[in-house]
Amino acid sequence: MIAIEHYVVLSAVIFLVGGFGFLVRRNVLVALMSIEVMLNACNLALVALNRSRLGAIGQSGFAGGNHTGQVFAFFVIAAEAAEVAVGLAIVLAFYRLRSTVRSDDADLLKN
Amino acid sequence: MPIALDPNDYALIALILGMPLLGAFVNGIWGHRLGKRAVSLMALLAVGVSFLLSVAAFVALAHLTAESGDAQVKLGWTAWQWLRTSTAQGAIVLIDARFSIDALSGMMMLVITGVGFLIHWYATSYMAEDASYARFFAYLNLFVFSMLVLVLADNLPVLFVGWEGVGLCSYLLIGFWYEKAPNAAAGKKAFIANRVGDFGLLCAMLMLVHYTGALDWNGIANAAANLVRPGEPFRVHLWPPGGGQYPAVLHFLQPDRPFTISAATAIGLALLLGCTGKSAQIPLYVWLPDAMAGPTPVSALIHAATMVTAGVYLICRLSFVFVLSPFTMMIIAVIGAGTALFAATIATTQNDIKKVLAYSTISQLGFMFLGVGVGAFTAGFFHVFTHAFFKACLFLGAGSVIHAMHARIHDDDKAQDIRYMGGLRKWLPLTHWTFAVATAAIIGFPLTSGFFSKDEILFRAYANHLKEVGLYEPPPWLSPVLFWVAIAAATLTAFYMCRLYFLTFWGDFRGWTVGRPSQAAAEELASRGAEHGSQRDDLSRPGYAPHESSRHMTIPLILLAAFSLFAGVVNPGFHLVAEPPMEHWLRPVFAGAVTDSIVVRSDAGRIEIVSAAFGFLAFAFGSIAAWWTYVAKRGDPADRVARAVPGLYGLVRDKWRIDELYDATVVAQVDSLAETASVVDSVLVDGIVSRLPSLIVAVAGSALRIVQNGVVHTYAALMVVGLVAMGWFFAVPHPNAAVTAIDGADVTVTAAPGIGYSYRWDADGDGRPDAPQFSPESMVKLHGSPGQIMNVNLEVKNAFGFVAARAVHFTVPNAPPPSP
Repeated sequence: MIAIEHYVVLSAVIFLVGGFGFLVRRNVLVALMSIEVMLNACNLALVALNRSRLGAIGQSGFAGGNHTGQVFAFFVIAAEAAEVAVGLAIVLAFYRLRSTVRSDDADLLKN
Repeated sequence: MPIALDPNDYALIALILGMPLLGAFVNGIWGHRLGKRAVSLMALLAVGVSFLLSVAAFVALAHLTAESGDAQVKLGWTAWQWLRTSTAQGAIVLIDARFSIDALSGMMMLVITGVGFLIHWYATSYMAEDASYARFFAYLNLFVFSMLVLVLADNLPVLFVGWEGVGLCSYLLIGFWYEKAPNAAAGKKAFIANRVGDFGLLCAMLMLVHYTGALDWNGIANAAANLVRPGEPFRVHLWPPGGGQYPAVLHFLQPDRPFTISAATAIGLALLLGCTGKSAQIPLYVWLPDAMAGPTPVSALIHAATMVTAGVYLICRLSFVFVLSPFTMMIIAVIGAGTALFAATIATTQNDIKKVLAYSTISQLGFMFLGVGVGAFTAGFFHVFTHAFFKACLFLGAGSVIHAMHARIHDDDKAQDIRYMGGLRKWLPLTHWTFAVATAAIIGFPLTSGFFSKDEILFRAYANHLKEVGLYEPPPWLSPVLFWVAIAAATLTAFYMCRLYFLTFWGDFRGWTVGRPSQAAAEELASRGAEHGSQRDDLSRPGYAPHESSRHMTIPLILLAAFSLFAGVVNPGFHLVAEPPMEHWLRPVFAGAVTDSIVVRSDAGRIEIVSAAFGFLAFAFGSIAAWWTYVAKRGDPADRVARAVPGLYGLVRDKWRIDELYDATVVAQVDSLAETASVVDSVLVDGIVSRLPSLIVAVAGSALRIVQNGVVHTYAALMVVGLVAMGWFFAVPHPNAAVTAIDGADVTVTAAPGIGYSYRWDADGDGRPDAPQFSPESMVKLHGSPGQIMNVNLEVKNAFGFVAARAVHFTVPNAPPPSP
């Protein structure tokens, strides 16, 4: 069995990749994708930690335990879907307005 | 047959008051949708029904009076209980919204609704072309309501409500055509001048509550003796103000004896200030001439027949207070006589038909004040009564003339200028005859109403004396002086009214060329291009002649003229009847005031004839002088006088420059005060309230603007920085502890809580923990001696296993002293 530390470290690395991508890339589509990466890193951590906890309870012979982490991951996926729908709509509207998807050009409210 | 009614619950008053209010409400809310016919129907119905009900109430009152003999009878109605206050002595003062009709207010009520109805009727035609027709009638009905509240009030606060109500309506109606700045300014002037007077009325109310413990007429009358009682609490200290002693530094200001006046004098003078404001007497008369900026029916109703007589009404109503102070009575009479003469001089030189009538009104109000000031309340009120008819008739006649002049002169000022009139009797026969009758009444043509009322005042001014009560005695020469001033004013009245009449209706019409460009100007216009000239009148045609007004305007004129002629029958003098009906009718109202205080000279019968002879001479001399000047000599003597004494003539024509005097003194001081306040406001207050905060905000904004650069990535990066900082905060434990409870030498130390914290204490401060394990116990109890310095070490471990330590030092406080 793969130790829990591997999952957590992988999740942290993916999260940092997503966060770094969000900070440095100017393309709005890539920024959206970076957000997806960060959320999925969270999902990975949630599912892995929940599984490891259930495993610990199973070894102690205690029946039951909860699946909050697993269910929470589904909620995150649902929120992601909604976020992507809105985000892509914004990107489309922005593209129609300015013919670009660079976030630097979203400066209509500036000055 | 006895009438089954309760004199204390006469609910018909509610309808008399309610109808005009209903009219004002309907016309004010829905008037602009109703159309002119419906608006005028509503307005006329409101006042007309109110008049008919007033007649019914008056008849009922007459019945009751006849049944009860000579006692004073009142029909009262309490609308609701209004206020409840208490005096300094602790007595409860109840102030109800109560109305009552007695002999005096009954007559006023008839005049207000009767003359008011005629003027409303007239106005339906006069104002027919006005865009704000409904607004006009809403205001006019509201005025009638307020005026009825004023006269029917059974106590001073309710009267004050009506008093302010008529002031408001006056303001609204003077500034009715508010698009023109002078009209709006005239409205404000009237309002502010009245405010000065209202201050006096308010002070009088407060003093009345203080000294009599009542504000309703009966209550004041019952406690009136308090007002002249000798002794400290019943005297008003003028110097030092409010009594007391000046401190040592200011001791030279201390008089040997404090200067005091009786409460009656103080209250009387304060009331008088209110009355001079409302009734346009010296020193507050200046608003009334400007008030002519309002529509002419307004001038007739408010500024001639009803509202301006409110001051006289109030003096009559509180006659029993005024007679207690001979000094106040003297001041009233002097103000009245002075105003009568002063305003009459100004009226002789004015050219605006309404201005002449305005100064005439001020002068006639002066006569009324003179009458009540010498204790002849019936005579003064009789003049209120007759003046309502003939002055309303004169104003409405002037309105008819202005209406006619407008047919050919489309200029508001020139259409009112008597220099451009003349010969109007040819076109306005009905207006001419009614105006002539009303003029005859005001100048005292024998046997007209004005003849009787004015002669009564002249006679009383000479014959009446206040009984000496040891307080203050007017000088003996006062009566003759008042009489001769009044005679002079009556002479001038005859002169200026006849001048007005002759210049308006006699001679040739002088208005043919007014308001039309001269031939030379027209040629000049034509040479510059005809476009400007084409908007002017067509000079090739003679233009419209003035024309008579419609019967909606002439019938009220005829009725008012008839009253001007015959209203004298209610109070004829000269012992033509045993006791004049009006004197008999009002006797119960004034009995309390007059019988104890007023003495008529023993040779009164002879004096009455002599004073009437002088009154007739004044009339004859003034009117013949006017005829000679303006008809026989066609105005030549007046021009010669103006050339001979240009300074004096200019001064009188400029109304003695009193407005300029007030502007230079009172108004200038108020203005400078306002400017000072404005500077303080703009520099100091605005500096603190607005500029300083805006500076702070601007500086903070400049600093924060650096990070608000509009680049999304900057924001995201800052967010990451913030998250890291918060993460760091939660990752590191924060050991904090403080003394939370002291009980003698027992001290409790508590550590600050945190997520997942557990604690390990070293209570004795020896550097070794008390227990090897961390526990969730966040408190530790210590015992020390007073004044001892204690050291406690605390270690905190959070959920991540990080540990932090802190040493806490404190001093055990000394024990508090044992409480007795």
